[in-house]
Amino acid sequence: MKTEEKLFSLNPEDLNACVSCGLCLPYCPTYRVTGDERMSPRGRISLMRMSEHTDFTPTLEWINSMDTCVQCRGCETACPSSVPFGDLISDTKKDLEKVRKLPIMVRSGLFVIARPSLLKVVTFFIASLQKVGLFKNSTYIPSGIPVFGNKFSTHFSSGSPTLFTGCVMNAWTPWVHKAALKTLKFFGVTSGVSGNKVGCCGALHEHSGLRRDFRKMAEKVIEMMPDSGPVLVNSAGCGAILKDYGTLLGTDEAKQFSERVFDIHEWLVINCQMPEKRNIKEKIIVQDPCHLRHVQNSHHYVRDLLNPFVEIVELSDEGLCCGAGGVFSLAQNKLATEIRELKTDSLNAVFEEIGEARIVSANPGCVTHLQAKGFEMKHPLEVLVEHLSEADAQG
Amino acid sequence: MRKRRQKITDPLLEALISALDEERVTDGASARLLYSKDGSVMEGGRAGIVCFPETTEEVAKCVEISKKFDCEFVTRGAGTGLAGGSVPCNDPIVIVTTRMNKILEVDLEKRVAWVQPGVVNLDLSLSLRGTGFHFAPDPSSQQACTIGGNVANNSGGPHCLAYGVTNSHVAAIEVVLPDASVVEFGSSEGEMCGYDLRGVFVGGEGTLGIATRIAVRLTEDPPAVATLLLDFSKITEAAETVSAIIANGILPAALELMDKNVVAAVEPFAKAGYPLDAEAVLIAEVDGLPDGVSKEIEKITQLAKVNGARQVRIATDQEERERIWKGRKSAFGAIAKIKPDYYLHDTVIPRRRLAEVIEKVYDIAEKYELLVMNVFHAGDGNLHPLLVFDARIPGTLEKVRKAGEEIVATSLEAGGVLSGEHGIGLEKQRFMTQQFSKRDLEAQDALRRAFDPDNRSNPHKVLPTGASCGEIDSLKEIPEGVWI
Ligand SMILES: Cc1cc2nc3c(=O)[nH]c(=O)nc-3n(C[C@H](O)[C@H](O)[C@H](O)COP(=O)(O)OP(=O)(O)OC[C@H]3O[C@@H](n4cnc5c(N)ncnc54)[C@H](O)[C@@H]3O)c2cc1C
Ligand code: SF4
Ligand code: SF4
Repeated sequence: MKTEEKLFSLNPEDLNACVSCGLCLPYCPTYRVTGDERMSPRGRISLMRMSEHTDFTPTLEWINSMDTCVQCRGCETACPSSVPFGDLISDTKKDLEKVRKLPIMVRSGLFVIARPSLLKVVTFFIASLQKVGLFKNSTYIPSGIPVFGNKFSTHFSSGSPTLFTGCVMNAWTPWVHKAALKTLKFFGVTSGVSGNKVGCCGALHEHSGLRRDFRKMAEKVIEMMPDSGPVLVNSAGCGAILKDYGTLLGTDEAKQFSERVFDIHEWLVINCQMPEKRNIKEKIIVQDPCHLRHVQNSHHYVRDLLNPFVEIVELSDEGLCCGAGGVFSLAQNKLATEIRELKTDSLNAVFEEIGEARIVSANPGCVTHLQAKGFEMKHPLEVLVEHLSEADAQG
Repeated sequence: MRKRRQKITDPLLEALISALDEERVTDGASARLLYSKDGSVMEGGRAGIVCFPETTEEVAKCVEISKKFDCEFVTRGAGTGLAGGSVPCNDPIVIVTTRMNKILEVDLEKRVAWVQPGVVNLDLSLSLRGTGFHFAPDPSSQQACTIGGNVANNSGGPHCLAYGVTNSHVAAIEVVLPDASVVEFGSSEGEMCGYDLRGVFVGGEGTLGIATRIAVRLTEDPPAVATLLLDFSKITEAAETVSAIIANGILPAALELMDKNVVAAVEPFAKAGYPLDAEAVLIAEVDGLPDGVSKEIEKITQLAKVNGARQVRIATDQEERERIWKGRKSAFGAIAKIKPDYYLHDTVIPRRRLAEVIEKVYDIAEKYELLVMNVFHAGDGNLHPLLVFDARIPGTLEKVRKAGEEIVATSLEAGGVLSGEHGIGLEKQRFMTQQFSKRDLEAQDALRRAFDPDNRSNPHKVLPTGASCGEIDSLKEIPEGVWI
């Protein structure tokens, strides 16, 4: 008998792990804004189960249900049965490639960021347009990007940590990497920089289902990076995927590489002596990037690191996504904006209580998405460096 | 039996779209699949058009249209129900309340809040943080379930032991009746004279109309709270402790029991530090004035020790308390760690027979070679034996069904009732004839028909279908393929 090949190949055990209790529902940003099961983790899993039948052909409605997932993985931390939703959606997206094309804007964006020299040119154009006021404030490109960006060149220092600089952060928000390097220096750590030769980690390609592109990029990263010493990452999305290379590529080399990857806050807290608590003047609101909180479970390190200098103010939404989601805000702009309104409500609730305050988030996508709404956003390391410098000046 | 419109016709879809808008009405195959199930294991439901109204007026319009087209409708909140209450049969219109999620008015002086039915239970209490008040009913699903669903199922929760189930916390309800008229039952201003229709509606499981606004009573936060974790090497010792606590005149705020299998399933997720080697764990919470709380802690500790407790741990801070509760509240959700499916009962038995009935439950499971996990509101005698299984293994379902029936029969024999809090829905209907006589059921049916003469509002639920007596014993109206 001829066995037809299934369009989607999802792990049946993973699918079966969901008991449909619905406890994840309120932690899903797309369900929160729509109230629609098709946009919920439980619903998506149920729909994924349809794909187990050989005669399954996805409808537009079905595809939309998968495409609208932010891949924030808030559902994963909420699920008492530990359903590996991240794996399920990521495999689904990979196979979705066979039945639909990603929007042209998304494809072009992903094409550019994978190529450092092209990214340099594109950056030049966007930055120039921004300078003359022709490029409007956007939810995926930060304002004030440098005209001549992408300048961190690759250099390593044997056995020491290497700062992973990635693609757009390197080109568009070099000040964050500068803050990271300064921080390391304050703590007396010498470090290398991955720079342009290593390039992009491929996280956005993997989340978009472009598994082949991702694989190539990941292999290049592993090949180009030094084969010893910790890899420090200051973007939550990149850190999460670099830590996952081992599982995704499945090679021993990748596994060994992943073991050396740390979120920079995590590494500093574990390895360096934290300063004494200061006389605290500033209140800072911490907005956790999903891939730091729900995927890496490293969000508390940001607090540990800032704690000596500022009073940490928490949001009351239990780490609900802000709607940025890598290319999500580009591909699903309407939903992304609606989800951001929820975050806006939580932030406003805090402002009401404590007055204006700066907000930190350890992921460039979240920073840009919330900045576009008018919030004053910083990377935690930018704030840390300010305080470290001040403390240093005071002796 | 009057013929029902089986097929979804375009004019119906069109009418609903013109009442709401295109985005909030769908007959897509994916939507119909997802809205054919809830949190229970009922399979085989069939949803028709799915609507997402946002206001009372929109709900009334949907109901009006259902009447005009002579179709049935089913109301659905978050779909966490465990008895198939919102599982639709025969393609009815599914009216989903999740977009009716506004807290409309909070009056702390009167201790009342008006909410839309789709407000999530926990969201209400969270939004009240800092005011000194909360909404007392706290089903273990409270992070997800809606207040409309709580009202419809008269849901309970761990803290309902001392504070009472949902019914005690609802002052008034605005209802869209099956004929599309809008009425208000009860009063947020105080006692009403006449029949207590509010009380009738609570627990109506969506068969009496749709709650569109609810005035809930707010409860003052207790000045002091203590959470105790007691562990036992025998489950019967834990059960005896429960009886002893109540017999000694202590009414804790909550008294919850989990057996070894449940503890093993939830501990990795909750990280509450539950003892993994204990046969049973009892969570007791006492609240009130600090003095009283200390005395009750002492007394409970003493009673537990007398009855064989190995250890008594008192949570030292809020975080530890929250972890202990998180574990308890994720029990059902964590079952997949053991087996992919569960079948849950919800019987209530006299508290003094707890130890004896629990032993029997284990015996029944053993007889059918099934694994049973026990987690329940021990203080109320509300059992939740969970039969966990893998439905893919041939023959398992039959065993589960039989074991379930025996568990129910054992509870009823011990002087118990069918459902403590999850409702009858679709799932427990077939047991209704065991608990009620034909006469009783007729009286219930007459009440239902007073609200819904055409039997269009969540039909096929609660009462054995139609309940015009001749049909009580037969379940032919339930579509084929619907199982436990
Ligand atoms: C993990 C887990 C733990 C649980 N723990 C508990 C517990 O401790 N105690 C407990 O009592 N239950 C518990 N339940 C069961 C369930 O959560 C409750 O019955 C809850 O109240 C259902 O709310 P819902 O919004 O999900 O309603 P749904 O499941 O959507 O609907 C339930 C019933 O209410 C009707 N309904 C819903 N909204 C309305 C409305 N606005 N007007 C009229 N009828 C309406 C529906 O037609 C249906 O009959 C648990 C469930 C799960 C999955
Ligand atoms: S994913 Fe987990 S929390 Fe969500 S419905 Fe499934 S088992 Fe429950
Ligand atoms: S990953 Fe995020 S958006 Fe996707 S289903 Fe889970 S919670 Fe919802």
